[in-house]
Amino acid sequence: MKIQVNEQALTLPSAMNIEQLLTHLEKPLMGSAVAVNMQVINRSEWNQYDINEGDNISLFQAIAGG
Amino acid sequence: MLSDNELLRYSRHLLLEEVSEAGQHQLKQAKVLIIGMGGLGSPAALYLAAAGIGHLVLNDFDDIEVSNLQRQITYQNSDIGESKVEVTKERLQQLNPDIKVRSINKQMPEQQLKMELTMADLVLDCTDNMATRQMINKACVEAKVPLIVGAAIRLEGQLMFFDHSQIDTPCYHCLFPSSEEQTLNCSNSGIIGPVVGTIGTLQALEAIKYFVGLPSGIKNKLKLFDGKTLDWQTFAINKDPQCSVCGQA
Repeated sequence: MKIQVNEQALTLPSAMNIEQLLTHLEKPLMGSAVAVNMQVINRSEWNQYDINEGDNISLFQAIAGG
Repeated sequence: MLSDNELLRYSRHLLLEEVSEAGQHQLKQAKVLIIGMGGLGSPAALYLAAAGIGHLVLNDFDDIEVSNLQRQITYQNSDIGESKVEVTKERLQQLNPDIKVRSINKQMPEQQLKMELTMADLVLDCTDNMATRQMINKACVEAKVPLIVGAAIRLEGQLMFFDHSQIDTPCYHCLFPSSEEQTLNCSNSGIIGPVVGTIGTLQALEAIKYFVGLPSGIKNKLKLFDGKTLDWQTFAINKDPQCSVCGQA
């Protein structure tokens, strides 16, 4: 499955949900936010939200500085 | 009614049909609580005072350090060791004697924050740590007070507007649900002054727009600013029905 993650092309070995994607990418679950096609996916939905072919995934961290 | 002095002071606002005398009057009536007088709060407070926001409440508990001066533009070298809120209050009154400025020079416990929210029309979160951000969000949700959140580190900025006076508004906790996670701040990651200044300035712009009745382009959205490319990304935020702060649960 071909997707984009932070504007980089990526081929996934199998179908997966957001939580599995973060694990696959070795990204921390804590402190991360995920958007699919510019829509933030709430963390409570990560283990149910399946990634689709062509999805544009954005991963970013909470920042607290000010 | 605006005085002759005010008509002159705010003449560049009055030229705008988006503000006009009615909007300026709304700004004069407005009560804004700014929490955090660092790199975000400095430009936000200066712009809101200059714009004629009638009642500003400033909260911080830090004294000014030399390492603040690289980005916290309210302060001068001779202010080192002084209280941030007291110095800011004095500067704002010098800038605009027509407005009322009150300072709270302590870390507000939740109960005091709730009390302050009963007197605030809008809150700017200009703080520097996750625990305080979560506490402010929760209090604003409960008090139904609109909240404009800014954050910045390195060359990155984040900007959000949650109008908690409206039903079905998502909250900061829907987006970032944990307060215990290790988050990035200016002390451990570094920051370039104009990046945090850009975000604080836009918090002030959104506040002014809110009071004069202009629609916001960022309600229930997260704006990410990339200081390297000057690119902005805009993400929609949905209310999380399972959110422990604003959800039904």
